[in-house]
Amino acid sequence: MVTFNYSPEGKEFTATFAGRLDTMAVQKLSEIVQVNLPESPGTSGDKIIFDLKDVEYISSSFIRICVSIAKQAGTGKFSIVHSQPLIKKTFKISGLDELLNVS
Amino acid sequence: MAVNLVEKANDIIDRAQLAAAEFQQYNQEQTDCIVESVFRAGFQNRIKLARMAHEETGMGIWEHKVIKNVLATQLVYESIRYEKTVGVISSDPRTGITEIAQPLGPIFAVVPVTNPTSTTMFKILICLKSRNPIIISTHRGASKSCAETVRICYEAALEAGAPEDCIQVISSGSRDFTHMIMAHEKIALILATGGTGLVKAAYSSGNPAIGVGPGNVPVYIDESADIPFAVKSIISSKTFDNGTICASEQAIVVMESMEQQVKEEFQKQHCYFLTPEEIIKVGNIAVVAETMSMSPFIVGQPVSVIATKAGIIVPDGTKILMAKLDGIGKEYPLSYEVLAPILAFYSAHDYHTAMNICLDLNYLGGLGHTACIYSNDESRIMKFAGLLNAGRVLVNTPTSQGGVGYFYNHLPPSLTLGCGTGGKNITTENITAKNLINIQRVCRRMPNELWFGHDQAEFYDESRTTDEIIHNYYKNH
Repeated sequence: MVTFNYSPEGKEFTATFAGRLDTMAVQKLSEIVQVNLPESPGTSGDKIIFDLKDVEYISSSFIRICVSIAKQAGTGKFSIVHSQPLIKKTFKISGLDELLNVS
Repeated sequence: MAVNLVEKANDIIDRAQLAAAEFQQYNQEQTDCIVESVFRAGFQNRIKLARMAHEETGMGIWEHKVIKNVLATQLVYESIRYEKTVGVISSDPRTGITEIAQPLGPIFAVVPVTNPTSTTMFKILICLKSRNPIIISTHRGASKSCAETVRICYEAALEAGAPEDCIQVISSGSRDFTHMIMAHEKIALILATGGTGLVKAAYSSGNPAIGVGPGNVPVYIDESADIPFAVKSIISSKTFDNGTICASEQAIVVMESMEQQVKEEFQKQHCYFLTPEEIIKVGNIAVVAETMSMSPFIVGQPVSVIATKAGIIVPDGTKILMAKLDGIGKEYPLSYEVLAPILAFYSAHDYHTAMNICLDLNYLGGLGHTACIYSNDESRIMKFAGLLNAGRVLVNTPTSQGGVGYFYNHLPPSLTLGCGTGGKNITTENITAKNLINIQRVCRRMPNELWFGHDQAEFYDESRTTDEIIHNYYKNH
C-alpha cells in the first residue's frame, strides 16, 4: 500500500501509495509513514513527495496526514504528484490543493 | 448629495413598488399581452439597438449583437410564451397539492457592458412575464443604448396596458447609489450579471440575489473527436461577437498525441499561435496583473486591435490568437478568463493529466459555469462531466451559442447563466421567467395511511429493532 524511496542527490523522500486510502487503511499507514519520514524534514532540507499515481480513493484522514506533514516540512517542501483527476478534485474541494502543492 | 441619492433611490423604488402592487392584479392573458408587445417592439428594433450597443461600447460585432437581440426577444419569447406564470400553474388531485405563482416584487437588474441591449430586453421580458417591475442598472459604458432599449420596451409595455413604472432605468454613475438600491428593503430580488465584484456586492446586499459572474471555460478535445469539426466549432464560438459571451471557450486541452494535428487544423482555419515572447506581450495587455482580471480595453476587440495594443504583428485575417501555455495561474495571465478572441492551449502527456488541467482551469475563476468536451466516446463524456464543476457541460458544441441555450440544445434561451454554489448561485439553471416567481403550494389534507395506520407506540419501545418497526410500518395487510 505504500513504498518509500529516498534520493540523496535531490534530497527527495518519496512515498508511493496505492489502492484505497480509506480511514481504516490510513490508520494502519499513519504510523508507518511517520516512522519512515526523514527526521525534522523542514530543517534537514529534504523534500517530501507523496506519489498517488495508483491511488483510487482518499479519506479525509489521509488529507489530514498530508496537511500535518506539509506543515512539518514547511513551505515548498511538500508536494503531491501524479494524482488521478478524481483525487485531484477531492483535494480541490477540500480547499487544500495549493497548500499541499497537488499536481 | 447623499440625502439626494437616498431620496432618488427611495423615489425609484417606491414607484416600482406601486407598479408591483398594481401588476399582481393582472391575469395571465393581460400579462401575456404585455410580454408579446414588448417582444415585438424589441425584435423590431433589434438591428438599431445592436448598432447602438456596438457604437457606444466599441465591443463586439454588430451583426452578432443582432443575433443576441434575436435570442433575447424572439427566442426567449418563444420559450416563455405558453408558460403559466399567473395564478394556478399546476394542480395534482393525487397529492392534493395546487401550485400558485405569485410575483416577487421589484427586481433590480444589473446589465453588463458586453451584452447590454440583449440582456436588457431579456431581463425585461422575463420580469414582465412573472409580473415583476424591473429597475435596470446600466453599465456606464452602455447607458445610452440601454436607455433606448428601455424606452422602446417601456412604451410597448404601456401600450399593452402595463402598470406605470413597471420598467425603470438608472445609469450606473455611482457605485454607492447602485449599492444603496441593491440593499433597499423594498427590493425583492437582484438579478445581477457582470463581474465578480458586482456579483459579490449583490450577494452581500442582504436581499435575495441571482448573481452570475465570470466563467473560465475549458474545452477538452478527446482522441475520439472529429478534429476539423471541433476546431471549426470552437472558432465559430470564440469569434462570436469577439468572444464577449461569458460561456465562450477560454482554453483548449488536448493530448500530446493529437497536439500537432489540432494545431495544424487551427492554423489551417486562420488561427495564429503566438511565440513565447508574444504570449508575454499579449498577456501583459489582456490581464491586469494586480487583480488577474481581464483588461476592459481588450474585451470584445478583434484580433487586429489586440495585436496592435500588444505591439505584435500577426497574419492578416487571423481569427484567434492561440497561446500555448505550460501552466495555470498568476504566472500565466492567459490562463484566466479573457472575453476576446484569445485562447489558451494546453498539451498533456496523458489523459489523466489532460483532465487535471481542465480541473485547474475550472477552479481558476470558472467554478459552476460552463465546460465543453469534443468526443464521440460516451464514457469519456460522462467522466468529464462528473469531474468538472460546471452548470453546463456542453458536448461537441460551440460554447457561446451552446451555453445560452436554444441554438444547439434544449436549454432555455437565457443571457443569465446560473453557476450553482460554485459561482455562489442558488441554481445552475439558465435563468428564465420561472425563476422569478414565488410558488405557493396549497396542500389539502390527505392523511398518510402508512403513518396513521401504524401503531405509534412502537416508536417508544426500545426493545423493538429497527427492522421490526420498518417491517410493521410498511406492512399493508
